[in-house]
Amino acid sequence: MDGLIYLYGLIPAHESRERTLPSLKGFDGRGEIYTIPIGSITALVCNLDPHEYSEDSIKDKTNNDMEWLQEKAFHHHETVLKLSKMYTIIPLKFCTLYMNQTSLEKTVRDHEAKMMDTFELLTGNEEWNLKIYCDDELLKTKVSQNNPVLEAKRAEISELPKGKQFFEKKKLDKLLESELEEEKNKVSEKIHEHLKEFALKGNVKKTWGSNVTGRKDDMTWNGVYLIGDSKVEEFLGQIQQYEKDMKETGWRFEASGPWPAYHFSSFSK
Amino acid sequence: MQPASQTNGKINLDPDNAEHGLAQLVLTVIELLRQIVERHAIRRVEGGTLTDEQIENLGEALMNLEEKMEELKEIFGLDADDLNIDLGPLGSLL
Repeated sequence: MDGLIYLYGLIPAHESRERTLPSLKGFDGRGEIYTIPIGSITALVCNLDPHEYSEDSIKDKTNNDMEWLQEKAFHHHETVLKLSKMYTIIPLKFCTLYMNQTSLEKTVRDHEAKMMDTFELLTGNEEWNLKIYCDDELLKTKVSQNNPVLEAKRAEISELPKGKQFFEKKKLDKLLESELEEEKNKVSEKIHEHLKEFALKGNVKKTWGSNVTGRKDDMTWNGVYLIGDSKVEEFLGQIQQYEKDMKETGWRFEASGPWPAYHFSSFSK
Repeated sequence: MQPASQTNGKINLDPDNAEHGLAQLVLTVIELLRQIVERHAIRRVEGGTLTDEQIENLGEALMNLEEKMEELKEIFGLDADDLNIDLGPLGSLL
């Protein structure tokens, strides 16, 4: 068997026996997704033409064909999302390919014990994402009003001649900026630590710039949480409470999920 | 005159609106120079080599320059983001 294999995810074999895989189109839009049983694990895959999807052609398409990339990334995401609603799945990253079935089977067998642990971790739990945004201007007003150091400095500056005032004000602005960053981190970290109490695990991800989010306010936190099914409602309720309490000072909260557990399945690392 | 905030960090040089795009470009360059001068002046002041009188004169000149810049931005309907043009992979100008 020399055909290229696209791997979407791995599920426990018993789940694949209990629930039949629905009919889903594969990566090339022609073939279908099917299962390969490998011991106590089942791989969810589709076949690809090795010439059409060689390493070079995929690299070229990924770098130069935005439309292709968007369509395929969307297909991968939608497919894994559908599968994650049916099975306990270790989701694989976009474009995880194996040269043939033998090499896929070998990799799965080599990591079987680790994967079984991951299934155990994921069963009955969901991955949720929380992005926290902050309107700097609004928060700046709050930070500057409630800070005695800044107040004292401001009073001191107002006594100076105009030219000197200019430089001192610039210094003060700089100080305010750093106080603002500190406040943003402090608040976000506190919220993260609190939310971790509802979760089995909580990880911090890189925040995105406004060129990615398309928003005017700044992303101050991007966290992922693995939460037990029964705790999700409480977790979301807490976020709603934060939103309600902190809206006026410029904070926004965006929770999304459940996602395929990309951040908590060790095979994808 | 159309407000420039719709341009999202890009200079709008379409033929029907060229003078506005040009004003944005000119003000962007002036703002860049102003900020360079300001940072240099702050370094000089912090370096401790200027007399009180020199600091006072420099501060007042920079303050006037900043005020003038604000007026010009208002006249051309531009805000700070409009002058911070997008340099693609290099990031933002200011």
